[in-house]
Amino acid sequence: MEITMKKSISYSLLAAVLLTASGLFTSCEKVSPTGVLIGNTSVDDRVKQSLVNFSALEVATDKELADTIQEYSFLVGSDSHITEDPGRLEEMLQIGIDNDDLFFCHLGDLADTKAEYYSNTEMAIWRATMDWMDKYLVAETNGSGEAILDTAMYIDKRTGCLYRKDNNFFLPYILPFYPVVGNHDITHNGWALFSRIFKTSFYEFTVRVICENDTAYDRFIFLDSANGTLGSYQIDEIENGFFQRDKKKIRNTFTFTHTNIFRPSLNEFASTYCREELYYILDKLADWNTTIAFWGHVHAWDERDFGDVHHITMPSMNFVDHPNGGDNLLIRVTVKKDGKCKIEPVGLYCKQRSKQELEDEGYITTTH
Amino acid sequence: MEFVKKLILSLTLVLSTGTAMAQYYSGEHTFDGVNRNEVSASVTTGKNIITGPCIGNTLHYKHYFNNNWSVDGGANLQYTKGLYGFKAKGEYHLKIKSFHMFASGEYMYNHYHSYNTNENVGNLSVRFERGYWDITLGTSFIGYNMMGDHYTEPITLTFGAHATLRPRTCHWNAGLLFRNYDDFYYENWNINWGLDFYYRFNSKWKMFGEFNIRPAGSMSQLASKYETTGKVGLIYRWK
Repeated sequence: MEITMKKSISYSLLAAVLLTASGLFTSCEKVSPTGVLIGNTSVDDRVKQSLVNFSALEVATDKELADTIQEYSFLVGSDSHITEDPGRLEEMLQIGIDNDDLFFCHLGDLADTKAEYYSNTEMAIWRATMDWMDKYLVAETNGSGEAILDTAMYIDKRTGCLYRKDNNFFLPYILPFYPVVGNHDITHNGWALFSRIFKTSFYEFTVRVICENDTAYDRFIFLDSANGTLGSYQIDEIENGFFQRDKKKIRNTFTFTHTNIFRPSLNEFASTYCREELYYILDKLADWNTTIAFWGHVHAWDERDFGDVHHITMPSMNFVDHPNGGDNLLIRVTVKKDGKCKIEPVGLYCKQRSKQELEDEGYITTTH
Repeated sequence: MEFVKKLILSLTLVLSTGTAMAQYYSGEHTFDGVNRNEVSASVTTGKNIITGPCIGNTLHYKHYFNNNWSVDGGANLQYTKGLYGFKAKGEYHLKIKSFHMFASGEYMYNHYHSYNTNENVGNLSVRFERGYWDITLGTSFIGYNMMGDHYTEPITLTFGAHATLRPRTCHWNAGLLFRNYDDFYYENWNINWGLDFYYRFNSKWKMFGEFNIRPAGSMSQLASKYETTGKVGLIYRWK
């Protein structure tokens, strides 16, 4: 009996120690139990880095549409999984420039993570930037209409955004191409490649529209869900009012993130947010009066209204899933004068190029 | 000494007030031929990315009709999360040579108070058990209501694997678990993992515990921490 009693006390103490240890262990910011087994870039670290870059480098600047522009459009694509051939991205950017779309959004898994794939991606964006600059940028002028060449400030004639041409002039960031980071963008230390070009995975901007003497703002929110979670730091930022820093009267809110909430069918992967976080995100979208929430990740189309929010899960735009292209691999959202949105599918049809064709165009292939 | 023993167990039970399903993952799951009733209570503490520190209790009752059939019900109170739920489960047990097979049907309701969300979950599972390991396969049906809308997710695979250091007949044991569910939730593809243990004081009393890591994302998403919890509780059986 005595021995049994001692064992009882011992195991009761063990239970108390287990509870205390688990409490301490799980509260320690320096220890991530899963990280012990699975090396990864932490969403918290990415968001911290993003916030620094967002404010320091003006990655995504607010846009004030010229008085003559009272409606605008933007293109959305997803899961391009660029390897050697960035053709589908090139096609998307060219369509947008040809059709005067104001900017481009991408829902992540931009390129599979190899350095050469990101080099090709960056080159495709840089080439589109040249076309975009030719079409929309003009040198800033002084009072007498002469270009201010010494400071070399350029202005986007549609949005009033200023660009500086000096050592801080990062060409890729001029093109209004706004991606979020996807899970394939962060594997194999891919965040180092992604962040070198795009700098941030958590950011926002607004578009101001002046219409019949009334000023309206549309807000665009980009969230990092590449790990299947927003992470505690991003949630803290959201809860601390990151998206309510100014007192603008918001007309429409659009959100963009990689990991999907809704599952298009049995054939696609389900959402990988933990259940409480899934409900947290849906609740937050409602709080923001979100007009359209865009999701990627599952490579399949899904469109539904839930809680007064219109949700669109995008198909992929890559060559593997759609070798011959498709009619709805992109969508164009046109925000009308009255704030209402028109959604229309946009096709991508280019075929994958051979290695020789890619090399001829200056892209890197894995054989060289 | 009997008084001291009762006092310790009672205090632990009071501190625990509540989970319950851990007995499914470590220890006996069958009618012992004498005790038809089983109650368990546990306390869970930990941390998750939304609420930060979290604490809660679960309480569970199970009744064995005979060697084959049992029913149980449980309640879940997660105070910091504002999550409250209950469940009911029926289970059929069959011994096939050296295997124990358990086929179960379950209904679970969860109310996420912070998001005014009601979640209804159905689950059909089969578990195969041997001395050192068990595996579970099944499917879950998850629907939720919030903001006046309803969404039913396409059916999702339920899977679990658990291995123990010692045979289940031993009076203490420890094990390693991987699964996409826990006592009061069924996830989609997120794979929980952790360690568990039990210590059986006698035929009526047993203590159990668990350290559980609940990641967000899975597979190519490079799972990262969503929640880590520690749980400890007591099970009492009687005629």
